[in-house]
Amino acid sequence: MTALFSAELLRLRTTRSVWLLLVAGQVLIVVGVSGVMLDRDDIGSPSVQQTAVAHIGLISLLSLVLGIMAVAGEYRHRTITDTYLAVPRRGRIVAAKLAVHAAAGLVFGVVTASTALAASAVWLAVRGFSLDLGSADLWLTVAGGVAWIAAFAAIGVGVGALVTNQIAAIAAALAWLALVEGLVAPLVGDAGRWLPFALGSALDRLPTAVDGPPQWQAGLALIGYAAAFVLAGVATTLRRDIT
Amino acid sequence: MTDVSVAGLTKRFGAVTAVRDAGFIVTPGVTGFLGPNGAGKTTTLRMLLGLVRPTSGVALIDGRPYARWEQPRRIVGACLEASGFYPGRTAREHLAITARLAGVAARRVDQVLDEVGLTAEARRRVGGYSLGMRQRLGLASALLGDPQVLILDEPGNGLDPAGMAWLRGLLRDLAAQGRTVIVSSHVLAEVAQTVDRVIVMHAGTVRFTGALDELAGSAGLEGAFLQLTSDIAREGSRP
Repeated sequence: MTALFSAELLRLRTTRSVWLLLVAGQVLIVVGVSGVMLDRDDIGSPSVQQTAVAHIGLISLLSLVLGIMAVAGEYRHRTITDTYLAVPRRGRIVAAKLAVHAAAGLVFGVVTASTALAASAVWLAVRGFSLDLGSADLWLTVAGGVAWIAAFAAIGVGVGALVTNQIAAIAAALAWLALVEGLVAPLVGDAGRWLPFALGSALDRLPTAVDGPPQWQAGLALIGYAAAFVLAGVATTLRRDIT
Repeated sequence: MTDVSVAGLTKRFGAVTAVRDAGFIVTPGVTGFLGPNGAGKTTTLRMLLGLVRPTSGVALIDGRPYARWEQPRRIVGACLEASGFYPGRTAREHLAITARLAGVAARRVDQVLDEVGLTAEARRRVGGYSLGMRQRLGLASALLGDPQVLILDEPGNGLDPAGMAWLRGLLRDLAAQGRTVIVSSHVLAEVAQTVDRVIVMHAGTVRFTGALDELAGSAGLEGAFLQLTSDIAREGSRP
């Protein structure tokens, strides 16, 4: 398996869209943080600072795309043939992609969190305030945001293994987050708190997350989603004809 | 001595039977795998390589299904028409990933690039490659594991006359080393100079297996090939 990890890591490093997503994430997080820091007058308050930093978690949309591309991108460029010729036990490939991309998601999250904290500190300094680094809430949000980004990368690998048409997989995933979950939530009552975006919001302690489960439960539930998607993806992958 | 054997191999995609009860044995040397487009050649090769699951029958490499080999790339090298490359990666990066997956030493990457004549272009992105260069990269990938068996699907596509001559030389060299080489093609003339034996497929069934000379017989090679692959009327009346 070590050889598979190193192969997938090399594949990740040599995929240009990976770097584009990472850069786009940093641009978006700076925009998100700046919006709060420019708009509000009470940015000295720890809760406002926490609101600004909570944008970290929203970058999970990009890590979800990253995870989807890990598998579906191979179908798109038809490198999947070569990959399965080298390793006919397809479950191992999906497992290696899962491990490498969950780790990559974690790195993506840490980089994004660092950018968010740095951007916040700069804005605060410019306006004569300082970041309240002693606030436990701030750090819980940072940790939750990073975990959300990593969890969505893992879910993306599962989605990509399940829906191997890259465009369809990305469109469906983003449509769920932007539209469908919001429509479905009122129909399912309390269960709506356990839908993926609601869980991420709770994990990240987004201001819009009300009545969500505690952070640790939200994190576990997202891991559960990742496991479910990956298992479903592996089950279909094992049977699929590569033509 | 590594044999490839197929017996009772059938594949149905929904209502379409792509391959019906195919059977043959391939021994060391170069074997041409011939038939018009849509004859079932590619599906047969993909079943042999564990990419497509047979509806029934068996396809074995040295007595074992492809997917049962621990590091199959060291036994079989394949270059399939539909295998692709990520355009943003260089040839070296592409081969390095495959080498790691296949459990092949990294130094093989430079060796196979040299074998197919891509050393000078190895650090260029594959997106800028011509069709012929991609074909060479596919062959490099097949050679990576120094395999005893090579399965090449239409390897001549996109090669210029000089490239074709080079390919013929490569195939002869591989056969001279005692390897088993299967080359598919829908152009008979392309392989006639190179192969020792032929398998002819048409409409999903194997129509002929044997020495090239046997096929040629009295009708001539072209005539025999056309006869085997043009009986569409008879085919249509079969159940």
